Amino acid sequence: MNLSNGARESAAAQAAVSVKNVSMRYDDFYAVRDASFDVPKGKFLTILGPSGSGKTTLLRLIAGFGKPTSGEIFIGGQPVSAVPPHKRVIGMVFQKLALFPHMTAAQNVAFPLKMRRHDARTIADQVERYLELVKLGGFGSRRIHEMSGGQQQRVAIARALVFEPDLLLLDEPLAALDVKLREEMQLEFRRIQKELGVTTINVTHDQREAMVVSDEVIVMNDGLIQQRANPVTAYRTPQNAFVANFIGVTNFLEGPATSVSGNEVAFRCAGHELSGISVGSGPEIKAGMSCSGAIRAEQIRVAAAPEKLADLTFRFTGEIIDAIFEGERMVYEVNVAELGGVSFRVFDHDPIGHTQFLPGERVLVGWNPKDMHVFGNNHSPN
Amino acid sequence: MRNSRVAYPLTWRVMDMLENVCARIWPASLHRLLPYLMLLPAVVLVGLLVLGLFQIGDASLRVLDTSTFLFSEDYSLENYRQAITSGFFAVVASRSLMGSVIVTVITLLFALPYAYLMVRTQSSGLRKFLLVALFLPFFIGQVVRAYGWLIILGNQGMVNEALGLVGVPPVRLLYNYPAVLFGLIQYMLPFAVLMLAPALTAIPEELESAAGSLGANWVRTFRHIVLPLARPGLVGAGLVVMTLSLTDFAIPAILGGGSQDFIANAIYDQFFRTSNQGLGAALSLMLVAVGSIMVGVVFAVFGAGTLAMTGGRK
Amino acid sequence: MSDQKLLSMPVSRRSVLGTIAAAGAATVFSPLGATRVFAQEPEKPSEIIVRAWGGSWVDSLKAGVSDSFTKMTGIAVRHDLTEDNEIQPKVWAAVAQKRVPPIHVNWDTTTNATKSALRGVTEDLSDLPNLKNTTDLAKPVGLDGYPIVNTYGYVYVLAYRPSAFPDGPPTSWKDLLDPKLKGRIALYNDGIGFHFPAQVAGGGKLEDIPGNMQPAWDFIAKIKEQQPLLGEDPDFTTWFQKGEIDAACTISTNAREAKKNGIELAWVVPEEGAKFDTDGLWIPKGLPENELYWAKQYINHALDKEAQQVWLDGLGLPGVVPGLTPPADLANDPSYPTTEEAFKHLIRISSKVQVENESVWFAKFKEIMQG
Repeated sequence: MNLSNGARESAAAQAAVSVKNVSMRYDDFYAVRDASFDVPKGKFLTILGPSGSGKTTLLRLIAGFGKPTSGEIFIGGQPVSAVPPHKRVIGMVFQKLALFPHMTAAQNVAFPLKMRRHDARTIADQVERYLELVKLGGFGSRRIHEMSGGQQQRVAIARALVFEPDLLLLDEPLAALDVKLREEMQLEFRRIQKELGVTTINVTHDQREAMVVSDEVIVMNDGLIQQRANPVTAYRTPQNAFVANFIGVTNFLEGPATSVSGNEVAFRCAGHELSGISVGSGPEIKAGMSCSGAIRAEQIRVAAAPEKLADLTFRFTGEIIDAIFEGERMVYEVNVAELGGVSFRVFDHDPIGHTQFLPGERVLVGWNPKDMHVFGNNHSPN
Repeated sequence: MRNSRVAYPLTWRVMDMLENVCARIWPASLHRLLPYLMLLPAVVLVGLLVLGLFQIGDASLRVLDTSTFLFSEDYSLENYRQAITSGFFAVVASRSLMGSVIVTVITLLFALPYAYLMVRTQSSGLRKFLLVALFLPFFIGQVVRAYGWLIILGNQGMVNEALGLVGVPPVRLLYNYPAVLFGLIQYMLPFAVLMLAPALTAIPEELESAAGSLGANWVRTFRHIVLPLARPGLVGAGLVVMTLSLTDFAIPAILGGGSQDFIANAIYDQFFRTSNQGLGAALSLMLVAVGSIMVGVVFAVFGAGTLAMTGGRK
Repeated sequence: MSDQKLLSMPVSRRSVLGTIAAAGAATVFSPLGATRVFAQEPEKPSEIIVRAWGGSWVDSLKAGVSDSFTKMTGIAVRHDLTEDNEIQPKVWAAVAQKRVPPIHVNWDTTTNATKSALRGVTEDLSDLPNLKNTTDLAKPVGLDGYPIVNTYGYVYVLAYRPSAFPDGPPTSWKDLLDPKLKGRIALYNDGIGFHFPAQVAGGGKLEDIPGNMQPAWDFIAKIKEQQPLLGEDPDFTTWFQKGEIDAACTISTNAREAKKNGIELAWVVPEEGAKFDTDGLWIPKGLPENELYWAKQYINHALDKEAQQVWLDGLGLPGVVPGLTPPADLANDPSYPTTEEAFKHLIRISSKVQVENESVWFAKFKEIMQG
């Protein structure tokens, strides 16, 4: 980010959306604090965070429902703080869809065109085209309450896109759906977005959804942007403990750093020196600093005999507390006595091929240093 | 022995006793009759009303003999003939009907933004203020309020005094048709707001945000989203305001200065001034009929609104 | 009540005895005046209920009649302030259903009372001893006997604000047509008190009432162009006080009330004359015999000179007993007629004619005014 100011401006101009130092304060509570990011044209960005993280506030500010306390938002290079929602050309799919119950599906989809005073013919054609796009051809005359949840989703998407907005905003529209339908709709979103190439900002607390649909992910917590990266990077190299914990299932070990050299850290936990661990992309770590070491659940292996873990650098004894068979994977909860009784979650992604352990069995857990990340403890893992 | 008694609190024993008594009076086998029993007061009330209506119907067919002040033994439609052919009753009827329509339209026009603001405002202070401003006159009776207007709008009232300060001679603001309509609107406003507020609360605010994001300014949002969705409330409020103002007595009597009688005033005169209960009864029944027809027309054109019996959708 | 109905009524021994006893009492102790001497009086009720108008009206009645009656007999008097027109259907219904009526004595306008008399729900009062001391004003016109006893009269004067008549007091009802009085005059909302002088002012004759009242309607139509306020008794006082009106056709009491409250007011009987009418007292049928006796005693007492003097001083109205002293402010006042000469300017129409036609007159008046 060593761009000059001028280059930054022009980058902002090319971006579909540019958020600059935006804060939103209610009394003495910051819902969003100094958020800055760009969304390049045609990209699908997801703002991921737990409830109360400020992600929806940020989205609503972009939509124009409320004015940031400070900072500015640019859409297509233009500052929009003074522009009311109905003059920003933004399609939005709301959390509860906000379909108009007194209109048919087609009337709902026609609404934004009607508000823009298109002639009846254009409206009819366009509505038909977009209903087709969301695979609702022929459903136009249905009333909203006569449609299934998935169909209602599709109407909401068609309505948000029919007037060909510069930007599509998705405010957790899938949260209320059951898992199967949600996964189906996630793919639908992605398909439609790719087909139209519309710049999209999605808000969700579902990390899986963020991984599936997005070109890029912004992780938010407590009103602050924690990390911005593509899904794989965010998953692989979380920038801090919060991100590591929020994306995927992560086990943490606590202890001081003993030595730092380059990108490798040595770190002591329960009397064991764990060395050669990669440093997370967060703040700089110094020797003696209190740290968290994070290991993903699927990067730990469980075995009864040490030979089976011969390829792993770190190996510790523990006891199976709980074993849950989830079909495509086995989830173990292991009490690692050797590391001071810390509890580990471990995934075994080949539950049929591998031996299954039962609660009470003594086992070994092991992993490699490269799969572990250490973060300086200015953020608590939870 | 004594201890065990004390350990069992007196109130429990009383409750047990009451329960036993209840079980004896109203055994469990009769419990399924309870809902019907609870309907009884309503049935009795409506029944009494219907009985009263029959009695009024009977009275309306009897003619007053002013030489004996007794009513005829035999039935005739003379009272109805008199009511229909009299120029005065025609004037009163059309005045009341037109008045109730005007009052309904203007009241809804005023009540809708008021109710909307009350429901939607973010400021709890403003909401409280609007509620108090709404209920304060509600607690003051209709008659007292009408007298209040006499004081405010009179020739020496506040309004005319204010006009006097800018050199305008006193204007007669009272005792005319607009004064009566004004009084009625002011009286009806809380009813309308109270009936509209739940209907507006039922409209998710997100729908309005959605309309905004889809390109509708607030006027068009109101016109295309809020108004159609508030229709049940508007119909319900409209019906209440229309029937109440059609049958109002006190406001036309007090603010009309005796020259703006509504139907209820004409009926009162027949019952209590000229002692002609027959003609009064005939007028009452005609008022009931006209009111019912108006309600029927509104039902037919706009649906029953919030007064609909079933929660079902069309 | 027909004989047929009487016979079909279930007759109990007790009621027969009661009737015979009552009949006996009536024959023995009649006329009432004689009873005092040798008869023991019927049992006294703890109270009797007299319907009255509120405000200064009931205060005057209490001071003049009720208090002294209680002092004399020990019977408390309760004043029921139900409106006269609202008590009427209740009394009628009670009599029709043979229930005991809700009041013992009704203080009523003679016109209203006449309806009850015609309907036959009033007790005959011919045997009141004090009637022999009264002027013929006490006798209701056009009715047989004394179903009502008139207790005083009043005049529907032309009340005016002198400052609005700088050239001197009005002399004719036609003076109300002066353009500068537009919107500044008031009448009763049914036109009561105004129909008869309007007949004269419109060029008609009083003898033509009720046959031909066209002159009255023509004159009232002209008055309508003046946009009069239309109201009831309390309105006139208020309107004068609040400066809403400068002239009104109202009973003198209302004008006097406003004057007492410090409003500059005067009143005249114009050259066409002014309506004179009376109020009276009557007793509904259906009271127990002893209560009827004491209700009659009450009315008899109301005709006592002393009682009349105090009562009517309060009202400022001329009584029906000769020799009363008018209140100081009303001596020689046209609204307080005492002489033959004074009565000549007043219009008095039989109550019977009035009640038979008033609904038509009221309707016609309202049709003109509200049309």
